[in-house]
Amino acid sequence: MTVRLRDDIDAMSRGWQWGRRRLLPGSVETERSARGFTPSLRGPVASGARDVIQSALLSPLLHFELDRRVRGLEHLGSIEPPVVFVANHSSHLDAPLLLTSLPRSWRRRCVVAAASDYFFDVGWRAIATSLVFNAFPIERRGRLRGTKLAGGLLDDGWSLILFPEGTRSKDGWMGEFRPGAALIAQMKDVPVVPVALSGTYTAMPRGKSWPVPGRPNVKVRFGSAMRAHEGEGARAFNDRIRRRVAVLLNEEKTTWWEALRHDAEGDLDEGPDPNAAHWRRVWEATRPPSGPAQAWPDR
Amino acid sequence: MSRPGFVLEVDERTPPILFHYGEGFRLEKLPLGSRVIYPPDPLPAIGDLDAAIEDALDHPLNSEPLDDLLRAGMRLTIAFDDISLPLPPMKAPDARTLVLEHVIERAARAGVDDVEIIAANSLHRPMTAAEIKHIVGERVFSSFWPDRLYNFDAEDRDGLTLVGTTDQGEHVEISSRALSSDLVIYVNINLVPMDGGHKSVPVGLGSYRSLKHHHNVHTLMHSRSYMDPPSSAMHASCDRMGRLLEKSLKVFKIETTLDNRCFGAPFDFLQKREWEWSARDQATYLTTARVTNRMAVQLKRELFSRIRAPYGVTGVTAGETEAVHERTLGAVYRQQSVEVDGESDILLAGLPYVGPYNVNSIMNPILVVCQGLGYFFNMYRGRPLVRRGGVMICFHPVPREFHQVHHPSYVDFFEEVLPETTNPQLIEEKFEERFATDPWYIHLYRKSHAYHGVHPLYMWYWAAHAMDYLGDVIFVGGDRNTVSRLGFRSASTLDDALEMASHTVGSSPRITAMRCPPLMISDVK
Repeated sequence: MTVRLRDDIDAMSRGWQWGRRRLLPGSVETERSARGFTPSLRGPVASGARDVIQSALLSPLLHFELDRRVRGLEHLGSIEPPVVFVANHSSHLDAPLLLTSLPRSWRRRCVVAAASDYFFDVGWRAIATSLVFNAFPIERRGRLRGTKLAGGLLDDGWSLILFPEGTRSKDGWMGEFRPGAALIAQMKDVPVVPVALSGTYTAMPRGKSWPVPGRPNVKVRFGSAMRAHEGEGARAFNDRIRRRVAVLLNEEKTTWWEALRHDAEGDLDEGPDPNAAHWRRVWEATRPPSGPAQAWPDR
Repeated sequence: MSRPGFVLEVDERTPPILFHYGEGFRLEKLPLGSRVIYPPDPLPAIGDLDAAIEDALDHPLNSEPLDDLLRAGMRLTIAFDDISLPLPPMKAPDARTLVLEHVIERAARAGVDDVEIIAANSLHRPMTAAEIKHIVGERVFSSFWPDRLYNFDAEDRDGLTLVGTTDQGEHVEISSRALSSDLVIYVNINLVPMDGGHKSVPVGLGSYRSLKHHHNVHTLMHSRSYMDPPSSAMHASCDRMGRLLEKSLKVFKIETTLDNRCFGAPFDFLQKREWEWSARDQATYLTTARVTNRMAVQLKRELFSRIRAPYGVTGVTAGETEAVHERTLGAVYRQQSVEVDGESDILLAGLPYVGPYNVNSIMNPILVVCQGLGYFFNMYRGRPLVRRGGVMICFHPVPREFHQVHHPSYVDFFEEVLPETTNPQLIEEKFEERFATDPWYIHLYRKSHAYHGVHPLYMWYWAAHAMDYLGDVIFVGGDRNTVSRLGFRSASTLDDALEMASHTVGSSPRITAMRCPPLMISDVK
């Protein structure tokens, strides 16, 4: 049996994902995290070091590379930590952007959920991710361990930053939310703060490891805190959270009022038909903003 | 602590899985949802092996220390496992070398003059001097070869003695030299759970007259599996024989266990789980696969036969046979067993270039069947990895090649017996006596380096349980005519094989692959 060299190379390049970060098979990921290494760098020394890294390095760096606009922080004034921040996710910029957009007092008590197979696969990466972002590992495949860990952190007074889509958007539009965030918030009876992150897909989409030149415009918009209604199931609560994030995203494109109207009429802009060609969705997602959003439309 | 065994569920992120393919390899992309079983990582090897051997000899289980058993004027026979263990052969020094040197050192110190060392090859081919030297080491070889260090001859009527008959009517006939000794020391390597225990002396130093009581279709059909001695009729028979034998013979057993480091550099990538392959491992695989794909088969065989395994010794236990073996089995299972949840419809196995009966030789088609359906199929405890009526898919080229010196009766078995029938029961009834007593085969066994005439039949019986149990057997990449002669089917690719198997097990089968090397025992729950 003769197999051509090119066939062998093709098979291996696909199988071992040459040129890309290699992801572990799901069952390996589960097995590893069941007995794996989870650094916990939340002591006073590590927290101090992280504060310095975030304030003196990360925040200025993001400011240098991005034109950042943060709105809605006033909503945090009416609530007490811990809370669950729930945001859409389309770029590796999202976590540092959201984290550094928070007031320092909040940021110091925030932990970020990070994919265990991606950020906790080897020791050095796990330590670096934990130190800089105060990250904790979460399995993307719906296992219980991440939920337990997240619940424990809330019990200890840490606010969580979660991206319930589970992975970065492939086309810049928000995907479906997994119900884990809603479930944890409901179980622990803590408020959920919806957050919309706009422009990060254009600034640094999948496959890029540094923002594009020219200080691209990115926006962070915090919404008002939400709690599960009496008798509301986790799935229903999850749907409500997702819709609120969608409204916030729409608000960045249009106005608060228009976004509310669209929501009421059930026609929030969620991009072209999900079955449309991939390029069309990317095309729309990367359309340059027409101008800064205003509270009320110009008449 | 070494990593335990693991059952992988294939998903879109899973790289292709490596399979042995005779003297070559294949990477196969398995269907999503398939399971792949990986054995545990190597257990820690003993650091100071000399001290461990000394300790085992000084503190044996259910026996006096070895020094107390040795005395001047006694008749001492030392026997050891032959070249069929371990696989691949071990890098020098072989574990047996070290144990033998310690034993002989003590015998010399005690003033024992009458010492003979016998390779317990039973009906296997007599080993060459070089092969024996590799096992026993230079010092032992130069001191005892050839008069006091030799291969056992199971057809030397003057050198065999009938010990008696078990309560099941099994004759126990073994080497007269061993039986007339004051002490027999047996040095083994327990690679898999099938080895060792009472299978050492009554089988290794036994004759055809003894072996036919457990190497037969009925017994092997009721050995489920060979790798689970309490559930194996063959082991029960060996135990009866061993107990009878030890009523009239003092046996001091020394068993060693190994880790599962079968391949060292540059082939160490074979031992790694695919998703852990570095760029270097991938490049080494690619180079190895390309080279072996284009190399002449003789050259390839020569290259592979030079591979020596960097095994580490994980345990040395000495003393009374059963007590020693119980501890040995524990160590073997610790190294090899993997818990698996439930059977599957299809079992995949890549068959390697070497098995117990083709070291420095050729894996002929009969041995391929023995390797796949005899050994790999039986690497389980509890239940087989595949359901009754399921399909086993093996990767092997199954060339129609035979080693003319080592396997003469295999050629006749393939050319004369298989065209008539592949049914083990019929073969046993019609052909066994002829092959076992053929004077020419006996002559070649005794004077050349040939396996006993009956050996190919035993290999066929070895696969009897799998043949009866499975609904279909398919060899991917196997020579069509040869595989057809064996009574099975061949396919060009795994996809073709799965398509063929779908006629037996349906279109959405549960698939399980055994990832070898190294070896594993599946504990199927």
